[in-house]
Amino acid sequence: MSTRVRFERRLETPRLLGPILPVVSVAGALVIAAILLLLTGHDPLTTYKRMAEAGFSSTQALSSTVASATPLLLTGLAAALAFRVRVWNIGGEGQLYMGAVCAAGMGIAVGGSGLAVALPAMIVAGILGGAAWAAIPGVLRAYLNTNEILTTLMFNYIGGLLMYYLIFDSHSFWRDVSSPEAKLFPQGKVIDASAFWPGFTGSELVVPLGFVVGVVVAALLFVLMRHTRLGFDLRVVADSPEVGRYAGMRTRRLVLIVMLISGGVAGLAGASQVGDFSHVLEPVGLQPAAYGYTGIVVAALARFNPLGVVVSALFLGGMTNAGFALQGADFPQGLVGTLQAIILFCVLASELFSRYRIVLRTGGGAPVAAGRAA
Amino acid sequence: MNDGLVVQLLVSGIAFGTPLLIAALGELLSERSGVLNLGLEGMMLMGAVCGFWVSQRMGGPEWLALTVALGAAGGVGLLMGLLHGFMTITLRANQIVSGLALTILGGSIGLSSYLGQVGGLGDERGRHTFEKIDVLGLGDLPGIGPVLFHQSLIVYLSWVLTAAVAYYVFRTRAGQHLRAVGEDPRAADAMGIDVARYRYAHTLVGGALVGMAGASYTLAITPNWSDGMTAGAGWIALALVIFAFWRPGFVLIGAYLFGVVSSLGFNLQVRGVDLPPELFSALPYLLTVVVLVVVSNAWAKHRFGAPDALGVPYVREEA
Amino acid sequence: MTKRFPNVLANEQVDFEVRSGEIHALLGENGSGKSTLCKVLTGFYWPDEGSVSVGGNETRFRSPADAHAAGVFMVHQHFSLVARMSVAENVVLGWSRERNFRFDRRKVEAEVAAVAEEFDIQVDPQLPVWQLSVGERQRIEILKALYRGARILILDEPTAVLTPQEVEGLFNSLRKLAAAGSSIVFISHKLHEVLEVCDRVTVLRQGRNAGQIDLRGERNVDGRELARMMVGRDIQLTRRSRERPPRESVVLRLVDVAANNDFDREVVKGVSLEVRSGEIVGVAGVAGNGQRELAEAIAGLRRPTRGSIELGGGALPPGDPRAAIEGGLAYVPEDRTGVGLAAGLRVDENLALKAVRGGDCSVGPFVHGGRVRQRATELLEAFDVRGRPDTLVRQLSGGNAQKVLLARELSSGPKLLLIASPTRGLDVSAMEAVRQLVVSAADAGVAVLMISEDLDEVLDLSDRVAVMCDGRVTGILDAERADTEEIGMLMMGQAVPA
Repeated sequence: MSTRVRFERRLETPRLLGPILPVVSVAGALVIAAILLLLTGHDPLTTYKRMAEAGFSSTQALSSTVASATPLLLTGLAAALAFRVRVWNIGGEGQLYMGAVCAAGMGIAVGGSGLAVALPAMIVAGILGGAAWAAIPGVLRAYLNTNEILTTLMFNYIGGLLMYYLIFDSHSFWRDVSSPEAKLFPQGKVIDASAFWPGFTGSELVVPLGFVVGVVVAALLFVLMRHTRLGFDLRVVADSPEVGRYAGMRTRRLVLIVMLISGGVAGLAGASQVGDFSHVLEPVGLQPAAYGYTGIVVAALARFNPLGVVVSALFLGGMTNAGFALQGADFPQGLVGTLQAIILFCVLASELFSRYRIVLRTGGGAPVAAGRAA
Repeated sequence: MNDGLVVQLLVSGIAFGTPLLIAALGELLSERSGVLNLGLEGMMLMGAVCGFWVSQRMGGPEWLALTVALGAAGGVGLLMGLLHGFMTITLRANQIVSGLALTILGGSIGLSSYLGQVGGLGDERGRHTFEKIDVLGLGDLPGIGPVLFHQSLIVYLSWVLTAAVAYYVFRTRAGQHLRAVGEDPRAADAMGIDVARYRYAHTLVGGALVGMAGASYTLAITPNWSDGMTAGAGWIALALVIFAFWRPGFVLIGAYLFGVVSSLGFNLQVRGVDLPPELFSALPYLLTVVVLVVVSNAWAKHRFGAPDALGVPYVREEA
Repeated sequence: MTKRFPNVLANEQVDFEVRSGEIHALLGENGSGKSTLCKVLTGFYWPDEGSVSVGGNETRFRSPADAHAAGVFMVHQHFSLVARMSVAENVVLGWSRERNFRFDRRKVEAEVAAVAEEFDIQVDPQLPVWQLSVGERQRIEILKALYRGARILILDEPTAVLTPQEVEGLFNSLRKLAAAGSSIVFISHKLHEVLEVCDRVTVLRQGRNAGQIDLRGERNVDGRELARMMVGRDIQLTRRSRERPPRESVVLRLVDVAANNDFDREVVKGVSLEVRSGEIVGVAGVAGNGQRELAEAIAGLRRPTRGSIELGGGALPPGDPRAAIEGGLAYVPEDRTGVGLAAGLRVDENLALKAVRGGDCSVGPFVHGGRVRQRATELLEAFDVRGRPDTLVRQLSGGNAQKVLLARELSSGPKLLLIASPTRGLDVSAMEAVRQLVVSAADAGVAVLMISEDLDEVLDLSDRVAVMCDGRVTGILDAERADTEEIGMLMMGQAVPA
């Protein structure tokens, strides 16, 4: 018999592997991308150096990086919570749209009454918008057992279309119809300047409010999962719904709660897009950015740990920002996405080493028995 | 008569719908085996850029250039399918995450725009395209002429493909095994069907179809390449598979329906009808959700539901 | 034939033979090595020592497909049927007599109908499998094996999921098959079925041969003899001291409780029972007679179809696990690390599973991590568990896992301890520890309802023994005066002669 590669399940992940694997994965991804760069006639070292500078060196670069990271942080947290407890909410995208719609609507409505009113109102509206959009698939999953992957995906499209409708094909509350040009080229009403979300400025470094909110949410989610009774119940149900039921937990309600929180956080990302950046409901900007989907990638890079999401959002945000800053003839366009995807694939592959040990064995053993169970 | 609304709608529906149809058939094969691939958009973009590149750089007669270009697009889709398969079947990584990574990899800030720039494709005008063929001179027949007999080769191929996939899935032994693997991999395994091999094969072939669907943009629809040119078609194809409840025939109907709907707004506006086109566009999605809910109960699920093991990695149990 | 696993010797020098045309029973308790033996026979496992021969030729099955090629088929308890496909499609799945590319539904249906006719099995090949009853599904599994040319058919506890009528039908089919020359291995722990349908019986105990008997021989064999071979034990374990405090108030009262199994068939058919504080009531019976469903109904995991359950004087709302816990129930389920413990979580978290809600380990909405660990350290010490608070439950041995489970359940100060198969699969020392824990809980005034297939265990530990058969309590005996013979009769549903 020939030599077989076997994956043996590890009972315990060696502690050292935790921090080492992501570093090794990123290094591996850089090497793979370097080969690509060499093949196309770019110098990898110079390219990486320029990216690092453009993303992280100056305070100005850092400000842009934090701005790019803000939506990713929030959608990443939304995905991290849901995926961590095995609720497959891939509807962050649509929940973000609805958060933006509600926050923009609130901003238009109460923007004139000053920041003290408008800011909390917009945040709450964003959370509620996202949570409401997640509630429908959530209820369907919890009480009717409808596959949430498929329904949340459908709700992304519906949410996107609704958003377009409000600006492009209706005379809705959100649309600006005050001038003849605005009637011809549809656009949203800009919220009152006094309701623009303030950034935190320290010696040129500007941190959008949404990012700070995101860090707070990350800390809250971390505490929720680690230190609260709800988080405890969620971890049990994620490990085994039968055990959860046995221990008297309301498992359906828990699924719904996860969807609501996850949707709310994604909605917050939408609110931040409006309050921090665009100040207007802007479908053309939101949809192609695909923050909701990228958030899942951000969460996966952080292995669904909320605090890790802060790091991975900054990392991916920095790369995205560098990509924008270096756009031009001599910088390979599209390198950023390529690199991000390669990194993610490397991280996914490295997961294997934390869960399985690779054993080479020669001869013997029925092949069937070699398939190790979860 | 051939300028009438219905004919125009059908013609543009087929034009918009053909890439959706081919991509959705690819995804259908993959999902029927239990592998969900959310990376369609990225794979289509890669197919579009690679197909265009090859067709621009290839010498030789037009038919050869186009064939090789289509093959190259299929090849790149196949490779991406292989990557997805390796991640999700061998390494048992989360299918959602791996698929989204493919979207980013091939997407408009990813490898497709990288290659487009390296190849300098953005400024070029296409040298080869699949032209519309007037079959037997029937293209001018009233009504059905423009719809059935004046289409490009890609459209005809997509019809053949639909029939082939339908035949394969429901009328062949391999198709029966495929369905079993997607429904109940444990039972299939117990009956001696190699679950991993079936999943790999269909993820790969599905990927190749998706790649070719992407190439149909650059080789048949517009004779040039631009960054992010599929503009979300991959996502719509994904929804289409669900809308069609994993049946090739419904995929064909659905693809043209989506195509009609996306050109409906324009056509209606031209004729002065004022209804929000988003409403029409949203209907298929709403309908899908309603049906998904309706089939949630055990009885209906068995008739119309998703493949039971869709999205679930298969790990053989050991007592 | 010998098969070892890490930690366990599953089969040690087991000899087993089946003749053509006979129905041969393989009898043994759970964990006696029956299923390991069968997995070796069907190519799932590879024997470490020894060999398997079919028709006189030594074979080396590398996979189930090899076994199938040699005509050896197994019908598992969990069917391998694709619910959404038709009967015919399932029968030909993965293998068909004609290996053509095309799949012709009509032709396949006709072919399957012909085979069904040949072996006198009644099915409609066109029906989708999800519409069929469990008994019909089992018939399809058998048909599948016959279609593929099975000569040796191994049936793993085939009657566990069947109604009595279906059992009768199955037995008739088996007799016909055997008469036609097939060999049938009938795995079971139901003695009366073995006596009824089998020609010979091989008994396994703790992975070894415990004996082989020809049931069609001159000597008249009865169930008692087989039972002794199955459970014969030579180690003296803890017994309940018979000088116990006087019985006090009734803690658990079941009145006419009925419940369905997962296939919506009534398997608990009106059970009435009382358990007093300080008393151990053992529920004896062959597995699959409704014990599991009864336990789940008491624990609130299964909604009873009728009857009432009173715990500590108050009626429990049906199907509400939390209410049962709050009413003072401690439940050690049969499936320890699938229902009782979360395998992927740490020991301390599992120990706090219920205490977190009660407030012992929490402050407001927060979990008090310090107290969780503190409590875990104390409990591990008190219950003599080898493991640290931060060990994952998955890493624990069976005995330690059971002790963790008991530690959590008993530390909640319960009124009632409901424990199923308390020592199944445990080694002798863990078995002894668990027995002591159960007895001392009762001595401390807890009412104990213990469900076990191990009759010795029931007799050693209980004050009273309730025997269950076919969803009913067929008798309640005083453990001190009960004898095995009498219990054996009740287990088989026969009336005890006055």
